[in-house]
Formats: sequence, structure tokens, C-alpha cells
Amino acid sequence: MSTVSVRYIVDDVDAAIAFYCGRLGFQELMHPDPAFAMLTRGDLRLVLGSPIGPDHRGGGSRPMPDGRKQEPGGWNRIMLEVPDLGAAVEALRGQGASFRNDIVTGVGVKQILLEDPSGNPVELFEPIRPEARLENR
Amino acid sequence: MTSEPLDALRLPIVPVEPRREFAAVLLRRIEGSGEPVTGGTASVRYFVDDLDAAVAFYCDNLEFETALRPSPAFAMLYRGDLRLLLSVPGGPSGSHSLPDGTVPEPGGWNRISLQVHDLVDTVEALRRKGVRFRNDIATGVGVRLVLLQDPSGNPVELFEPTAGYHERAR
Repeated sequence: MSTVSVRYIVDDVDAAIAFYCGRLGFQELMHPDPAFAMLTRGDLRLVLGSPIGPDHRGGGSRPMPDGRKQEPGGWNRIMLEVPDLGAAVEALRGQGASFRNDIVTGVGVKQILLEDPSGNPVELFEPIRPEARLENR
Repeated sequence: MTSEPLDALRLPIVPVEPRREFAAVLLRRIEGSGEPVTGGTASVRYFVDDLDAAVAFYCDNLEFETALRPSPAFAMLYRGDLRLLLSVPGGPSGSHSLPDGTVPEPGGWNRISLQVHDLVDTVEALRRKGVRFRNDIATGVGVRLVLLQDPSGNPVELFEPTAGYHERAR
């Protein structure tokens, strides 16, 4: 059971489901509304919501009281560990996925920033030091 | 100066430089917090303007624990199975800047979503501590939720399951 929850705002929930399930190993838990879906991968539950009106029954992606609409994008992101980043990036590029940068080697990891169909960032990383590895795998 | 007879039996204390990967765990043991701070497989990175303010905010208000704080531009926190990495954009090494020079920034709408037992009580307590919110509590299907902001303006969602949540979400 996933224990950590993250919400991403997406333009198109169906396209997002296809991307996360088809390319990144997520499984669909539910898709009860065109504007909402819940996916899972390991301990992560990814909640997808598309912007909705103030009277929509869903609560998560309504506008703010001051009228500001929620939208995809930004820089904050989920991070997904992969065993071989070079191979993962090559496979994703072959499927037409878009990236914001090329592979960067940092202190503990090699990483790259992938974009979902709505332009949300997803960080893929391969640990090169033990403490950068996600634990209890 | 007289020496105790037992002194001859005592082992000398030799200061040892711990290996880096064990240093954080050792530090937590020395601080008496017992079990090492570890989590599961879920990891999220947030960009923050002020690392000190962010670490204090997440640890004091939202029950995160600091696992690593190896530089002025990076910290690793845990809360249950969630590993939250805090990065300061555009540091001296240009960390996380894109090849075209674009520098990441805090904000946006994507967010971690933390479950709380009593959302009304939690929001009241956080407001008293001066925490800012983007909205008031909203009621959705099976859940009540609210969006607060960290000191850099990053959103954090708090939610409380309501009737029907467990059947739907698990």
C-alpha cells in the first residue's frame, strides 16, 4: 500500500495516466472522474487532477478563493530511482518523451529531468553513492 | 597525581572520523533519537530560497526529521516513507540549472499531500504559528483538504479522509 501522497496538476488526465503507467511503471488505482485519477508506484501514490471549476465535486484542483487557477509545471517534483539511467533515458527518448536537460552527474546521483505530457517535471536518478539510494526497497 | 589501578584496564578512547555514509546515522544515535531516520521508496524534491527557514518550517510544523544537511544548499528530510529533498536553486555550483541557464524556482501547484487526523485542529494550530494558507478547507469526495505554503511559497496539501475514503483510496 502506498503511504506517501503527491498531487500533480495535469491538463489531460488520460494522457497523464498513459504516460505514468505506460512509461514509468505506475499502476492505476482509480479513475472515477475525467478530472481525477490515483496511481501508485512503490510507496508513492500519485494523485492526478486537472483544473476544475469552483463547484466541481472534487476538492483538490479547484481554483483558490482569490480566483487563481491551479496549473501544471513548476520545478518541484517526484524523484524515481532507476537502476540504469542511460538505458532508461534512451528508452524514453525512443518513445518520444521530452526532457528539460541531459544527464547531470551530481554528488550522490546521476539525474535527469523528464517532462510529463502537461509539462510537469519528473526527476529520474541513479544513485552513485549508497546514501542516495532509496531505502527498504 | 595518583592513578587508579583500574585505569590500566580501560581501553583508550580514539577519535575516529566516521565514514560519510554512516555519519548521519551515528549523529542521530548520539543525539539519542534511537532508530535511524529512514523511509521507503517515495522521494520528492522541493526548491527553497532559504534552507534554514525551510528545514525549520518542515521540522517544527509538519513533523519532518533532518537526515542529512551536508551543504548550505541541500538538506534531506524524512516524514514516514516520504523523503523530501530541499535544494536551493542557483547555488555557487549552479546546481539544478538547465543547460540554457534557466534556474529552478520554488512555487507551482504540484505538492506533497500529508494526511492529518483532525484537519480543523491542525489548521488552527498552524495559523496560530503564523503559517500561511492559499485557501480555506475544501471538501472533496472522501476527503477534506487545504493548501498551506512553506516560507518559499511552495504548496503543501494537508488532508483528512472522510466517509468513503478508504473504500475508494485503498
